[in-house]
Amino acid sequence: MNNRLRINKLYALSSEKRKFSFPLPLKNKIRIGKRDYVVQLKADEKYGTYILWKNRKYPVEIVRSRQNKYEILFNDISYTFTVETPFSMQRMKVLSSGKGKIEKESLRAPMPGKIIDVMVREGSNVLRGEPLMVLEAMKMQNEIQSPVNGQIVRVYAKPNSNVMKDDLLIEIKVE
Amino acid sequence: MKINKILIANRGEIAIRIMKTAHRMKISTVAVKTAVEPNAMYLSFADEIFDNSEDVSEIPVFLDIEKLISIARTTGANAVHPGYGFLAENAYFAQKCLDNKIIFIGPSPDAIYKMGNKTIARRLASKNGIPMAMGSNDNITNEEEAVEIAEKIGYPVIIKAASGGGGRGMRIVRKAEEMEKMFIIASKEAEKAFNDPSVFIEKYIENPKHIEFQILGDTRGNIIHLGERECSIQRKHQKLFEEAPSCALDNNLRKTMGKMAVQIAKAVSYCSAGTVEFLLDSDKNFYFMEMNTRIQVEHPVTEVITGIDLIEQQIRIANGEELKIKQEKVKIKGWAIECRINAEDVQAGFAPDPGKIEKLSMPSDKYVRIDTGIQAGSSIVSSYDSMIAKLIVSGRDRKEAVRNCKMALDKVWIKGTKTTLPFFRLLVRNQKFQDGTFTTSFIEELDKFYFNSEYEEMLAAWLATKLFIEENLQEKSINVDFENSREMSPWLMNKRINQF
Repeated sequence: MNNRLRINKLYALSSEKRKFSFPLPLKNKIRIGKRDYVVQLKADEKYGTYILWKNRKYPVEIVRSRQNKYEILFNDISYTFTVETPFSMQRMKVLSSGKGKIEKESLRAPMPGKIIDVMVREGSNVLRGEPLMVLEAMKMQNEIQSPVNGQIVRVYAKPNSNVMKDDLLIEIKVE
Repeated sequence: MKINKILIANRGEIAIRIMKTAHRMKISTVAVKTAVEPNAMYLSFADEIFDNSEDVSEIPVFLDIEKLISIARTTGANAVHPGYGFLAENAYFAQKCLDNKIIFIGPSPDAIYKMGNKTIARRLASKNGIPMAMGSNDNITNEEEAVEIAEKIGYPVIIKAASGGGGRGMRIVRKAEEMEKMFIIASKEAEKAFNDPSVFIEKYIENPKHIEFQILGDTRGNIIHLGERECSIQRKHQKLFEEAPSCALDNNLRKTMGKMAVQIAKAVSYCSAGTVEFLLDSDKNFYFMEMNTRIQVEHPVTEVITGIDLIEQQIRIANGEELKIKQEKVKIKGWAIECRINAEDVQAGFAPDPGKIEKLSMPSDKYVRIDTGIQAGSSIVSSYDSMIAKLIVSGRDRKEAVRNCKMALDKVWIKGTKTTLPFFRLLVRNQKFQDGTFTTSFIEELDKFYFNSEYEEMLAAWLATKLFIEENLQEKSINVDFENSREMSPWLMNKRINQF
């Protein structure tokens, strides 16, 4: 960060492309209509970390933070934001205009469990929504479906094997 | 022989639920300590703990028949309560208990076997004139036969596991071309889950309501019902929310369906608490689905509106006592609803989200009952189900119960895993739910599985921005408002430490 640059606001961009802007210095007040409401980040033994807003406590957790990307659990809902300065925002706009599309989709295990069945093999053509494998976790069978139309490049998961969360299961070439 | 000591062949909230009643009845209890949950909350409710935590075999002790019998013998327990799940509906286990002169708190092995085998149950129902969806009378052994029967009864059809339950081994088939694939998947699933690849076919009832009747029967042939529960809010054929009574039934229909439920229970001389499940279509036709020969997860809603302790009744019946409650004395008072607060990620299609529960506090209003086996510090482990707590809320009528539930949901405080709470926050605000017109496809039809208020995302964005400032921008270069920095820093440090 360049010390001599004066940044007057920051943007938090949600993964669904919603934009929230906050003037600097960051206040612990948020304006709704014509009124300012105090927002406070607190932590104590009984509740853990929480946000106090309009006399109500909301549980919060920082699930992940990497560079300017934050995954926040707020009242049991996950939100992912990238925080941008007006300069990085400008740079991003320029970059994204020339960006290509994704060619390969790597599916990872959404939870730890056991692979019960693999319905496709390398080279199979699959349609979006087609079941690829069945992952059993906590007494429930979960179908892993293809997020795209494409061709199976590689199957990493073997039937009856145990997988950890985020283990690579399958790679699909996007068509 | 009278029951004087019960071995609880289960864990979690249901183990506690049983021990509470046993304690009130001055019957002592034995709980089993396992390696997976050596500090579990249920252990503190037992009069005696059998330490099995050295046993690290892959099969949980609650599924190990020989081991459980030997624990009962060692500890001198003369009765076993299986709870739900595990061996609750295992006829062989019930028989083994009898053979060893241990009272099995549940129905007879014969009733468990007959109702557990869906094709036998169908035959019994049909013999007793209970309405059923059209289907195969016997198990289907190959795809050709499946296609033939499906053509006869008309698509869509549902393939079900003969020894099934809990939604596994079920497949809906809408046209003949899909049959071969679905038949193979269903019987494979059935074999894996229940050690029995047999399946049968039924006409698939589109968008029904799931209505079940609570049954109580004693060893002298008295059988009554305690009204219905509506359990239509399901995902992957597993219940998430239940209520009693159901707004889809009037007194006449309740009487008719209740009579049928009692009749099917009589066909197996049912003696314990049990549940007869029906599907109810939009024209109020009802179809027998199955009978569950155990205490159900959702039994509290019936207890709340009838004032009857079902576990106590189970114990009394197992003791050979006569059922004292007469059908005409059963009165339904008010409305009760139950939210299953599970460690699940509603944003990932209700995928389990196991982990350590760091903080937990529950509302204590007089209209709230909490059944839980989890406390702050407990873990939701992947070897068991994902339940954290059952939030049971009552009211004078449905409207009041739902209103009370809305308030209670905001008072539940859980940290450590994601939970189904955001789903229930959505449910209580949903018009279809409020009208009572929802069916078993309610969840599938939603485009979003959770509720968040207008400002929640904005507040989360504010927090992300605050963190960014703390981590990236230097205090000198930009005038950040560090009013709260003192209380914030240790917390941030903690979070960072936890990440490694």
